Amino acid sequence: MKLFDRLFRDAPLATRGEITPKLGFLLTVLLAIVWLIPFLWMVVATLRPASDGINAMAELMPSLKPTLDNVRDAWEIGDFPRYTLNTTIICAGILLVQFATITLAGFAFARLAFVGKTLIFYLFLMQLMLVPVLLIVPNLSLVAQLGLYDTLTGVMMPFFASAFGTFLMRQAFEAIPTELEDAALIDGASLFQRIRHIYVPLSVPSFSAFAIISVTSHWNDFLWPLMVINSPDKRPLTVGLSVFTKTAEGTQAWGTIAAGTLMVIAPLLITFLIFQKRFISSFVTSGIK
Amino acid sequence: MLFSRRLMLGLAMAGSMAGALAFPALAGEGPTEIDLFFPVPVDGKLARDMGTLIKEFNETHPDVKATAVYTGSYDDTLIKTRAAIKAGKPPSAVIMSANFLLDMQIENELTNLDALIKADGTTKEQFLGQFFPALQGNAVINRSVYGVPFHNSTPLLYINADKAKEAGLDPNKPPQTWAELTDWAKKLTKREGDKVTQWGIAIPCAYDYCGWMMETLTMSNGGRYYNEEFGGEVYYDTPSMLGALTWWNDLVTKHKVHAPGATPGPAVSTSFISGNAAMMMLSTGSLTYVRDNAKFAYKVAFIPRNVRNAVPIGGASLIVPAGLEADKQKAAWTLIKWMTSPEKSGWWSRATGYFAPNMAAYKTPEMVDFLSKNPDAKTAVEQLDVAKPWFATYKTVPVRKTLEDEVMLVLNGKKQPKEALAAAQKAADETLKPYNAETSLKLP
Repeated sequence: MKLFDRLFRDAPLATRGEITPKLGFLLTVLLAIVWLIPFLWMVVATLRPASDGINAMAELMPSLKPTLDNVRDAWEIGDFPRYTLNTTIICAGILLVQFATITLAGFAFARLAFVGKTLIFYLFLMQLMLVPVLLIVPNLSLVAQLGLYDTLTGVMMPFFASAFGTFLMRQAFEAIPTELEDAALIDGASLFQRIRHIYVPLSVPSFSAFAIISVTSHWNDFLWPLMVINSPDKRPLTVGLSVFTKTAEGTQAWGTIAAGTLMVIAPLLITFLIFQKRFISSFVTSGIK
Repeated sequence: MLFSRRLMLGLAMAGSMAGALAFPALAGEGPTEIDLFFPVPVDGKLARDMGTLIKEFNETHPDVKATAVYTGSYDDTLIKTRAAIKAGKPPSAVIMSANFLLDMQIENELTNLDALIKADGTTKEQFLGQFFPALQGNAVINRSVYGVPFHNSTPLLYINADKAKEAGLDPNKPPQTWAELTDWAKKLTKREGDKVTQWGIAIPCAYDYCGWMMETLTMSNGGRYYNEEFGGEVYYDTPSMLGALTWWNDLVTKHKVHAPGATPGPAVSTSFISGNAAMMMLSTGSLTYVRDNAKFAYKVAFIPRNVRNAVPIGGASLIVPAGLEADKQKAAWTLIKWMTSPEKSGWWSRATGYFAPNMAAYKTPEMVDFLSKNPDAKTAVEQLDVAKPWFATYKTVPVRKTLEDEVMLVLNGKKQPKEALAAAQKAADETLKPYNAETSLKLP
């Protein structure tokens, strides 16, 4: 009932009698429901016993005799703790290096003066136009030459520099008044001290916005890890999951797939639920709306 | 230009391989480690079966240590294998969709297996003689062996026998022509007002499957999909293909016995199992799934004909990529021979529903026993008499997708068959152009 209180009683006085904000609110709720249906189906399908028959699989109504059989099957087919660990290492590793590279590159493009700065910046941005699939073969050759084929480092390496992140940090740093830096300069702060104590702390919302984008995209990446990794114990979640979802001529066990998918998205989902407020505010204040 | 560079690369590779053969690698310590790339063409439990198979191989062959590397769908497996070869890390053996072999051979990515066969003291004819003749078209290129059939399929017509009886049809006399099939589908479609509660037939159309089904329909309509002798020609804009696509489209728009839209394979089998579709055309690779899950009597039958009985083969072969060291090549060959032996190929067939390419597999006691209990597994083997190779051209995947994209548009009601096929032909010709320029159009 809190929803209705917010809509009718707690609404700002000026809009209390108006219809437009209420319609907007209604639309948001509708969209949220539409978004929620596949998720609900997944949860329902996960808990549905196989004895309900495949007919029931498409239903949203939960089964009266819920079971954890599907979860157990999925758990047995895939080594999920290992996959989760691998994915976490990949995402965290990429993010940590990215923080260093995008901070320095973003600062260089925002505040340093050098020859060809604009041209280099545009070249850098052009990278965003490339479809990652195009780069699979050249990237893989390089990774193999460096002796990183079939290693987690090999999966991470191509993403250490991020054009999007650099762009984002450049925008964030440019918005910081130069007076702050001048003051630090008078106090005798070195270049790195200025970055560390002025630019970084003032750009935390941008950093967290970038972190969300980076982690979710690498968490979901399938093709690149599939190319690099051979050893079963180095598979990330996506590759591990697809062992029982990708079929060519065969057929699928929906309950197991739903259970596996739930396990894969659970860590991200829980993180989101815990840090929900921070996530949203970081997007709002970093200017990505 | 491009082609001659490729040729040089091939020569260089062949040269280095000859070198490797001439100076056998120093006898290393411990077993030879090899990777086997495998797609999962069937549901997850079989990924575990593959693990069991490789474990047994390693236990019985102490000088080889094979690792099974899961590589996604058939299409993903091709991408991964190619990328690995280009990165200088070729796997030792790959279970590769049988129709990708020609394309890979054109690109010099395959090891010619003739020398390995000869080293065993057998002839090509003896070696190939173990397998069903219909499979050789996708394994032999220019009279050299490039692939060893591992698990193969043909499309089948699956019929829900209970529903057929309910509709007054005799499931023991399945439809043999398109006319009969259309008639069956009409009788098996149930409507409540405008809403269809049970579809007469379901035919899958998703990437990979769609091209295969189009080839099936075109072949039973008297036509061909591509030039079996030469990798540069496909026959999309032909009367036989037009007839096939028009009939499929008629099932949707005119007779309204096939759900509109392009349906992926798993959705088709789910819909059949749930009784939502009374018949389906699907690979024999789904047979074990249907057997395990159908709660009704079912029948499998030949794909009905319009002009003639004919189906393409499907499934996968084992290949050895180019550029491997001699000891890995030898170890891979040992693995391949073991996996395609009558016992193993029969075991895999019983687990999956794919038929065993090795004819002797059907003489093993386990298989004789299995077939007496599951006569439905015989249909695909019987249908092999009329089976022909799976389409294979230069750049198979893009050429296949040009047709699939257009067929999906037709099934979604956005295009008419005639214009769709003309567009597909035009796009395919464009993709095949470089190959034709270097071969059939390169005039002295």
